[in-house]
Amino acid sequence: MTMTLQGRLLEVGPTDNTSDQRTPRKRLRLIPQAARESFVPYIPQQAVTRQGENDLTRIAPGAPRAQGTPIEVSGRVCTQTGQPVRHALLEIWNANMFGRYTHIEDHSGIQLDPNFLGLGRVTTDDEGRYTFWTISPGAYLARPDIGRYRPKHIHISLSGGSSRLITQMYFPGEENNATDPMATLMGDAFERNVGQVYETPHIDVHHGYRFDIVVGGRNATFFED
Amino acid sequence: MSANDKQNMLFPTNEDTVGPYFPIYFRDERLEDLTSIHPGLIVAPEGKHIILRGRVLDRHGDLANGVVMEFWQANAKGVYRTPAHADNPDLDPWFNGYGRLRSKAGEYSFRTIFPGSSKGRAPNITLTIFSDGINRVVTQVFFEDAEGNDTDSLLSSLSEEDKPKLIARHDGRTADGAEVYLLDIIMAGDQETPFFDDLVS
Repeated sequence: MTMTLQGRLLEVGPTDNTSDQRTPRKRLRLIPQAARESFVPYIPQQAVTRQGENDLTRIAPGAPRAQGTPIEVSGRVCTQTGQPVRHALLEIWNANMFGRYTHIEDHSGIQLDPNFLGLGRVTTDDEGRYTFWTISPGAYLARPDIGRYRPKHIHISLSGGSSRLITQMYFPGEENNATDPMATLMGDAFERNVGQVYETPHIDVHHGYRFDIVVGGRNATFFED
Repeated sequence: MSANDKQNMLFPTNEDTVGPYFPIYFRDERLEDLTSIHPGLIVAPEGKHIILRGRVLDRHGDLANGVVMEFWQANAKGVYRTPAHADNPDLDPWFNGYGRLRSKAGEYSFRTIFPGSSKGRAPNITLTIFSDGINRVVTQVFFEDAEGNDTDSLLSSLSEEDKPKLIARHDGRTADGAEVYLLDIIMAGDQETPFFDDLVS
């Protein structure tokens, strides 16, 4: 049997109005081989992180702790062949314990926390490992008209070399996971985006989540092939 | 890569939507104007200054607010700063070729240098879009009347109807000497911008 290679047809996230408005409806086009290398952005190392930016539980080192449950999130970033993604930049943002972002465009009116910005940066080490602390975020009502919540999640944007990934870490056992539009589209693969709980007896957080990140696609390994 | 290697490959983490609140805190003005490596320096990349400008529209023709746009291009001599060209003497020490901006309303303006043609390709800028409601999508932007548009491998793969959707229209020159190019990106609908699949192809 021969199959003709086709680009993906993207799916619209159920009950997500923005997804309906913005998801391309035509099948993605295939990139001709002669043009393929030009589709591999290579992001240089950027010296942008500041001291303390890996601790989102405080606005600045020495400042008071934010409300809620302090957690650690850590893991290893690698490509699908298991090669570590070294010195990659992780940009991290999450809502406070009540489900509110400090972003100037979040007009939800949900309670703010004067000790929480929800913004952080960290770079991976020589083995691709990263660690940051934050406050366990709250779920929030995304569609009041149908009562749909966005489950607790942490946004992570990763860039380093030819690896580029924007994703979200979800939390295990949350009932709202089942109705999230993007989580629904992931199907069984959703489990890969759920952090795994570990104990943290000797550090000043309540517990941790292990979140290993595998950057997929051909771009991540393009210059290693 | 052998079939055996493919079987041993790890499952990728799913991409997810960037959501509406990509932090403005992460903005870096140096990535929004590639004609200068840093404000206040006398050193700067070679090349003709251009501004690529336009709107990102949804399938109803409304502005797509909060989009994050990333740009990737060759320098004025057509060389990309990748490991494949690490020793190329035509690398520009003041040009990385990677840009990023977040548009609050859905309108964008990116200042850079006109990319040189690389490996027989027409001058182009690779555009990655992150937005609420979708995962990463990618395409390439070309320039009106640029040499090589009629033989470019990517443009040639498109229908006559689709080609103009990726060619930015020249719209004069600014007071400070930058050539302006205009292109609207239409995320979905009848006039949808062609997007490409860098996972399958």
